[in-house]
Amino acid sequence: MIKKSAISIAYFLGSMAILIGLWQLISVITKAEIPSPVSTWAVFKELMAEPFYDRGPNDKGIGNNLFSSIGRVFTGFLLGSIIAIPMGMLMGASKIGMSLLNPIVQILKPVSPLAWFPLGLLAFKDSGGATIFIIAITSLWPTVINTAFGVSSIPQDHKNVGKAFGFSRWKYLTKIVIPYAMPHIFTGLRLSIGIAWVVIVAGEMLSGGVGIGFFVWDSWNGLSLEKILVAILIIGGVGLLLDKGFNALQNLFSWEGK
Amino acid sequence: MTNIETSVQFVDSANDFHKINANETSVSIKDVTVSFKGSKGTFTAIKDISLDIKKGEIVALIGHSGCGKSTLMNTISGMVSPSKGEVLANGNTVKGPGPDRGIVFQNYSLLPWLTVYKNIYEAVDSVFKDKTSIEKHELVEENLKMVNLTQHKDKLPGQLSGGMKQRVAIARAFAINPSILLLDEPFGALDALTKGSMHIELLKLWNLDNRNKTIVMVTHDIEEAIFLSDRVVVMNNGPEATIKKIVDINLPRPRNKKDIAHDPEYIRIHDELLTLLFDKFSIED
Repeated sequence: MIKKSAISIAYFLGSMAILIGLWQLISVITKAEIPSPVSTWAVFKELMAEPFYDRGPNDKGIGNNLFSSIGRVFTGFLLGSIIAIPMGMLMGASKIGMSLLNPIVQILKPVSPLAWFPLGLLAFKDSGGATIFIIAITSLWPTVINTAFGVSSIPQDHKNVGKAFGFSRWKYLTKIVIPYAMPHIFTGLRLSIGIAWVVIVAGEMLSGGVGIGFFVWDSWNGLSLEKILVAILIIGGVGLLLDKGFNALQNLFSWEGK
Repeated sequence: MTNIETSVQFVDSANDFHKINANETSVSIKDVTVSFKGSKGTFTAIKDISLDIKKGEIVALIGHSGCGKSTLMNTISGMVSPSKGEVLANGNTVKGPGPDRGIVFQNYSLLPWLTVYKNIYEAVDSVFKDKTSIEKHELVEENLKMVNLTQHKDKLPGQLSGGMKQRVAIARAFAINPSILLLDEPFGALDALTKGSMHIELLKLWNLDNRNKTIVMVTHDIEEAIFLSDRVVVMNNGPEATIKKIVDINLPRPRNKKDIAHDPEYIRIHDELLTLLFDKFSIED
């Protein structure tokens, strides 16, 4: 077990070394137009020295920006999931529900988050609301689809238990449908939070104000490529942590392999 | 005669015991046909089957795979509706599954995310809505004890052996106290040794309940059918399967797994069933 994790840590470090090596190479080729890892590291330390400063609406620490983005992502993701899970269950449980809702899902799923933004602005008269709206509407589809799949694939054996022992609708839902679909629902949620985190940067670039996406855009206007690279690494790191977190939740709530 | 002997005599006094209720019909299958509509047209699994089963009787349905024996049993459980004819259970037309009929499924059908205790509890909770939670708890404990699983009650089904899973499924079916117990190839997935002891356990539970429960089981195991049943219903091969013959098993109870194999009547019945089920007994050289 210890040996195994030591090996995976070694691989991770190796992978990071390749990334930094390529980065250095690009930096050299572009004659430092793309900042090198070393100069980026210096800016990173500078930013981290005071992550939560607040000097007016367009000048906030990277920590402020990051947490404001995370807050928005979770709000949008939560709203999306509140719609997605029941909708997926309905689609999975009834043929009529599936036939009626599936075309809607298929049409709306490929729409870019940016296309939704004006509608969000119109509806909420506020760029913050619009950002949350586009996160919700673009991140809910994987949860809808996976929940529907989970619910529709309940084995006949499990359904028969409910029938044979006369389970009420409520008992059938809470003791059979939801537990069986749980691993699938969590797979969907994990994909959804990933999308939500991708969408936030684009959303905040349009909305402005505060957030990691805005921070990237602001750094571009201030011509600080180092700051942009720092932001990219932080966005990637947080994305990785979100994925790991949801993976852990999935294992916690899953009966499979127990 | 001591008290113990009397009670043994009382519970295990051959076949006479449940003949007290011999006139009561538990299950009545009347001219039942079951057809399924598929993509390739209508498939008739069983055709014009009639069968009466008495209260407290153990009946085995035997036949080759796909002969419709499970379909026939599912018309009793209410999981399958007859296309023609009707099934009466305790005098009422079967319209769907009900708590008067307990089912033990082929694959145990335990819910893998619930503990052994919870698997039984949810069934009890669903059937006995008026009982208090303490009464329901006691009922579950009692049935767990009956199948010797009390110490495993907090395990998940995935942590149990096949025999233990089957005991949970049987305890769950007994816990709702059905008058009719339906077993669909209950021991098919078990090894021969476990199977043997499960037979004894099943008869023990049946005895504990004064042989009042009617048991209908689907099997493809001749020895199992003879050892457990009062009557063996041999089915023709499907489609449109019918009853080929009903063989009475007039072997006294309690039956002894070891001795029964030497009983001339057992051997005769065994031969008869073999002849009914197989056309060829060896390869032709």
